[in-house]
Amino acid sequence: MIHDLTTIRNIGISAHIDSGKTTLTERILFYTGRIHAIHEVKGKDDVGATMDSMELERERGITIQSAATHTIWDKHHINIIDTPGHVDFTIEVERALRVLDGAVLVLCGVAGVQSQSMTVDRQMRRYKVPRMAFINKLDRSGANPLRVTEQLREKLSHNAVLMQLPIGLEANFKGVIDLVAMKAIYFEGDNGEHVVTNEIPEEMRDEAEIARESMLDAVSMFSDELMEAILEETVTEALIHDAVRKGTLSMDLTPVFLGSAYKNKGVQKLLDAVNRYLPSPLDGENTGVDLSNEEAPLALASDPNKPTVALAFKLEDGRYGQLTYVRVYQGSLEKGGTIINSRTKKKHKVGRLVRMHADSMQDIESSSAGDIVALFGIDCASGDTFTDESVQISMTSMHVPEPVISIAIKPIDNKTVDNMGKALGRFVREDPTFRSRVDPESNETVISGMGELHLDVYVERMKREYGCAVETGAPQVAYRETISQRADFNYTHKKQTGGSGQYGRVAGRIEPIVDGADDFEFVSEIKGGSIPTEYIPAVEKGFVQCMAKGRLIGFPVIGVRVVVDDGKSHSVDSSEMAFQAAGRGAFREAYGRAKPIVLEPVMKLEVEGPVDHQGAILKTIMQRRGTVIGTTESSGMSRIESEVPLSEMFGYATDLRSMTQGTAEFTMEFARYLPAPAEVQKELKEKFSSKIVDDDE
Amino acid sequence: MYRKFLNARSPLRLLEKGLHGGLGPGNLGIVVGGPGVGKASFLVGVALDELLRSGRVLHVSMAHTVAHIRDHYDTVFEELAASARLENGTQVHVDVDRNRSIRVYPKHALTPEKLREAVKVESETTGPPSMVLIEGLDFKETSREDLADFKALAGELAAEVWMSVSYSKEQIAELPASVARVEDLVSVALALEPGEDAVVLRALKDHDNPDLTELHVALDPKTLLLTRH
Repeated sequence: MIHDLTTIRNIGISAHIDSGKTTLTERILFYTGRIHAIHEVKGKDDVGATMDSMELERERGITIQSAATHTIWDKHHINIIDTPGHVDFTIEVERALRVLDGAVLVLCGVAGVQSQSMTVDRQMRRYKVPRMAFINKLDRSGANPLRVTEQLREKLSHNAVLMQLPIGLEANFKGVIDLVAMKAIYFEGDNGEHVVTNEIPEEMRDEAEIARESMLDAVSMFSDELMEAILEETVTEALIHDAVRKGTLSMDLTPVFLGSAYKNKGVQKLLDAVNRYLPSPLDGENTGVDLSNEEAPLALASDPNKPTVALAFKLEDGRYGQLTYVRVYQGSLEKGGTIINSRTKKKHKVGRLVRMHADSMQDIESSSAGDIVALFGIDCASGDTFTDESVQISMTSMHVPEPVISIAIKPIDNKTVDNMGKALGRFVREDPTFRSRVDPESNETVISGMGELHLDVYVERMKREYGCAVETGAPQVAYRETISQRADFNYTHKKQTGGSGQYGRVAGRIEPIVDGADDFEFVSEIKGGSIPTEYIPAVEKGFVQCMAKGRLIGFPVIGVRVVVDDGKSHSVDSSEMAFQAAGRGAFREAYGRAKPIVLEPVMKLEVEGPVDHQGAILKTIMQRRGTVIGTTESSGMSRIESEVPLSEMFGYATDLRSMTQGTAEFTMEFARYLPAPAEVQKELKEKFSSKIVDDDE
Repeated sequence: MYRKFLNARSPLRLLEKGLHGGLGPGNLGIVVGGPGVGKASFLVGVALDELLRSGRVLHVSMAHTVAHIRDHYDTVFEELAASARLENGTQVHVDVDRNRSIRVYPKHALTPEKLREAVKVESETTGPPSMVLIEGLDFKETSREDLADFKALAGELAAEVWMSVSYSKEQIAELPASVARVEDLVSVALALEPGEDAVVLRALKDHDNPDLTELHVALDPKTLLLTRH
């Protein structure tokens, strides 16, 4: 167990695809002694960088899955969490960013701030992750760290401050000048493992003095002590470090470091800075929700003696079996202890507790608040919260939205059916918004989720990770039906020709549930036993059966209250079955007269892009029957919130990219069901009735 | 029909009788109030009044987030819909949302030039607003030229422009100095003051009308709609 929480750093390393994130991560693991040889990314030696675990990620150059690895630098425990750079995959992104306390933003010294850095940076701002920058690839031709720092200020609105100056650039890049210590730092040895401190080269002395002064100017804003010390000329390194740390934690300052991971330069100094400036678990605030009090927000304390709360943020089927990565937010986890899953209420015994290193793992006895470790053989879903039995807390809301889009899938090669099943089983466990079922009518496997891209990613993963390529059907939007006015019914189900008969009469009304959260309500106002009490559940069952498939377009019916107030039974011929049938008949009778309408899922769409492209972005929304809710403008960027019907969102990513030259990004989630416009309803109805005709033939 | 119902609880309907026909297109109106009295809610009420008469509203704020402002609209709308027993509430609500646009700027970032740009974008995509609300403008720090320019924009659009003005005290005896210096640019000035179990709305200025005594209305402190009797 790590006793001093101030020595823990849970960090993410995030970057644009080609900024050298993987190389940097690998060098970090090398210098901290976790791996013993350096490979190149997508290696010529066929080994590949250690962190890049999935083939899909390599091919696309993106990271969809987060993996955590532990290492130690200068008595500090650093957990490196691999952050997805993919904006549309909300749940993955949210989980990975959530467990971070701080981050290193890696920028290419040549290309500078690119669109993806903007996206990732925006997400980090949203999740309030303090960050520092590392300008990489200074050995490349065209590298210009001053320009990149300027871009950090202009494009990302960071208060970016250079903490170092490069000694030489491009092919002549030799090392850096540390503007705090005012020393030149060189990285010698075959792999840059020897950090050599020297005097600043004579010809750079003036330049360094000027840069130090402007660094001190910016940094002293965060410390009165430092400001005084500057006036009295008694500045110490500790005072500067303290001020930089304050500015970084409040996210008002972004210290900038330089290097070339590939050429083994600057990485160790970056690690020093991670320890010095990025937050420990004690510096941030974490909140869960109190399940015993209507999910009210609850602040958690990084205190090992309080009740345990831990979040499972990632599952991995590794070569060691099923691993569950958890971040402990409060209390501690102990080997042999018992924990309970807040969602399933299942108890688990902590059999093995391990710390994951890049290529090995280490058994540990216990782990405390603030740390990131892995559990073995615990059956759970990603995003689940574990607690000890004393509290009912969850790190995320228990409310899981219903999927809004489905596609049918079929393996191209029938031999891979088993793999498809395995893959689907795992995805369902990892992501509660992803569902899989077999359609009883068509016998096809149908997967459902929160958007087109959401499903695309899983289809792709099935192919890459499980060797199961599938054919996909056309995306199917999850429409609903509802009624818009009250209608009465009085229906008699009667079959009394020979043998035992069937008889049941039900009367009452169906009416819309106005702004209610419930999809269906059944109210019995039967008085005097006109329907015997024992048959009333059967009547309800009859109605419920009809709700599953509406008669308008064949989608589930929601928002209906059924009130039964009269009826009649027969002493011999009435039965549960008869009253179920009566319920179904009554619904059929009343439904048409209750003016049924089609509801369509409407998504909350948030698009962010430069103010100049605002008009173009608005147009993409208006073209899709969208309603603009509002626009927020700040530092040259616009964030546009809107609601758009899901059925109009196919292909949006491509369209938005071309309308804005790739400068805008969007996120999308389900918002609510709203009545579809008349022409859409008409089209759906026609499609449904033609399908019925087909089926009859 | 339902619009009439809804409007029955709008403070503006009543004011229109007292005021000479309301604010009127091309004019600048302000509402002054102490902290927390409900200036924002009042503006939302004014906007809904316009929206329910099929107008288009641009709501500009430097005080709240888009989500916050939208919640505000939803709360007031639901209160209205409930008291009017509106049947097709969902559809009316959708229409209202469609005709309203919220724009949020950082503190002090709104200039007449910015507002012109915004109005241009709105006009090109959804249509020109018939009413503009400006919330969180630091009235004291806004120059006479800029206010005159806001008024000019109201004229160009033939729209009503309403602004909220913060006041340090709860009771407002007269036009605050920040408003008095530009009194000629302001056509209507209203004061919101907390009363015993209602918020009291009264006029500080009504065009050129010298008699302001009859303008005195009690509003529900939560929704700033007319209290139900």
